[in-house]
Amino acid sequence: METIKMKLIYPKWQKLRGQTTFTLPPHGPVAYAATLPEYVDISFTDENVEEIDFDEECDVVSLSVMLSTQVKRAWEIAAEYQKRGKKVFAGGISAMLHAEEFVDHVDSLFLGESEGRSEQQVLDWKNGCLKKVYNYMGNQPPIESVGPCRRDLYKRELYNHKGVQMVDLFHASRGCRFSCYPCAVSYLGGRKFRPRPIDKVVEDMAGIENNRLFIVDNSLAQDKEWEKELFRAIAPLKKKWISHTIEDDPEVLDLAAKAGAWYVYQAVYDTSDYIKERVKRYHDYGIGVEGTILLGLDNQSVDDCKRLIDFLGEIDLDLAEFTVMTPFPHTKGYDDLLRQGRIFDFDWNHYNAGQVVFQPAKMTPDELQDVYEYAWKSFYASETQESKMFRLFCNVALREMEEGTYVPRNRALANKSFGKEVDRRAPHQNV
Amino acid sequence: MKVQERYYDEVFEFKGQWDMPSSCGLKLREVGGKTYVVVTELYQDNPGTSVTYAGRSLAEQICEAKGLKLDEVVYIECTPNTNSKLSFYDEEYFEVDFNADKQHMYRRLPVEEVKSILGNEAEV
Repeated sequence: METIKMKLIYPKWQKLRGQTTFTLPPHGPVAYAATLPEYVDISFTDENVEEIDFDEECDVVSLSVMLSTQVKRAWEIAAEYQKRGKKVFAGGISAMLHAEEFVDHVDSLFLGESEGRSEQQVLDWKNGCLKKVYNYMGNQPPIESVGPCRRDLYKRELYNHKGVQMVDLFHASRGCRFSCYPCAVSYLGGRKFRPRPIDKVVEDMAGIENNRLFIVDNSLAQDKEWEKELFRAIAPLKKKWISHTIEDDPEVLDLAAKAGAWYVYQAVYDTSDYIKERVKRYHDYGIGVEGTILLGLDNQSVDDCKRLIDFLGEIDLDLAEFTVMTPFPHTKGYDDLLRQGRIFDFDWNHYNAGQVVFQPAKMTPDELQDVYEYAWKSFYASETQESKMFRLFCNVALREMEEGTYVPRNRALANKSFGKEVDRRAPHQNV
Repeated sequence: MKVQERYYDEVFEFKGQWDMPSSCGLKLREVGGKTYVVVTELYQDNPGTSVTYAGRSLAEQICEAKGLKLDEVVYIECTPNTNSKLSFYDEEYFEVDFNADKQHMYRRLPVEEVKSILGNEAEV
């Protein structure tokens, strides 16, 4: 088969105010790329770390879209390529969530998981019979067919901060048996937890040339036996990893720690002793905790939010990330707030989980916006986010040194941050 | 989050967004010369699109299957009580006007109105 040159693009999006400016290599585009046949020659651009060269030679363009805040930018990019006579494909989480609108902006929309299916879209394009929609919603491929991502497509130097390589994203499962109020994962990946076979996970993880990973699965706490087997199997790899919630069980936590758990994201939704003890239990096993705090739920007033924020100081979190309730399409949150006529903003650029787009129940939108800003400032008042992150970084570096897996920072990139020169002059020298 | 069977007479299978196989609870009631179509979200037992997101398409599929005309029925969405500790899984009923804009499409029914349609079947 003759080579087809595909331009694969991950559109830019704006980070939350207060969030770190670290940019991680995106997972969706390289997972999709891995499902394409060898005759597709891919040139990948992550617009968050480099500009798109719209004049770069290519036969076809594919957009990989994860966030609602990427959607409108994706449409702009599509229009730019269409002006140049190129056909544009799109897929990914937000292409699925916003599919009804997306279909008007691209030449071909891929809905669902692409393993074993993406080649058909390419062949149809090649044969002049490209379909508007390739619809595999609710029809997931066998989980065994999920293979290693095309991480060779990353320009590694662009995901590097002062010589330190960012973590690689990794998935050990898909789908979710929970169906949480603000989350669309069960709609996207099915209401069934689909763990990958352990041997495939180990093989995949071992092949990643990065000792630090972020296991991005929705929650690892979905099947205790699989979780324990997973941790036992990956421990010999000596990787260090971040993940979402782990089962609250001494045996599982012990295995997780031995398997390289670096820190986990833990939702902090109330001021109970349960939360306090949960965080303590992670720490008892040497696992750090980043609290995720969702503000603006219907049971929260301004005072409730402030009480929750104050509580964070008592539970010794290593990091915290704050978001405001956002009614993403295909969530129960969206359905409820839509029915109640409380969504006042449907501009997807504002759906970044840091901007209030609905009428909260017990406060005004402005009050919620203010309490969100207060949360970031208050939590990081005594120690900056960079400093807290540095402490976590030191923890992992020390463990790696003990295990002989530590890779010193790349001195050649010491003056670069995500591909850009770092200005090391003191502020007065900038005048 | 299992929805109790008292919320529906039958499980109605429908084509959700992008033809996703989907399910909802369904009750049809004749009260005071009006036909009420009450659809209930089944959460974990609905593998596809929610009743709210399916909206008009679901209403049309029910009407076609039951020989009804959409403009002659009162269409009601029910979010059932799932006995969750979380306040957002309480029982609520909304009348849907598919001709209104997004922000005015739903009217939450007061308890008395729900009881006048469903009698003691409603928990509200």
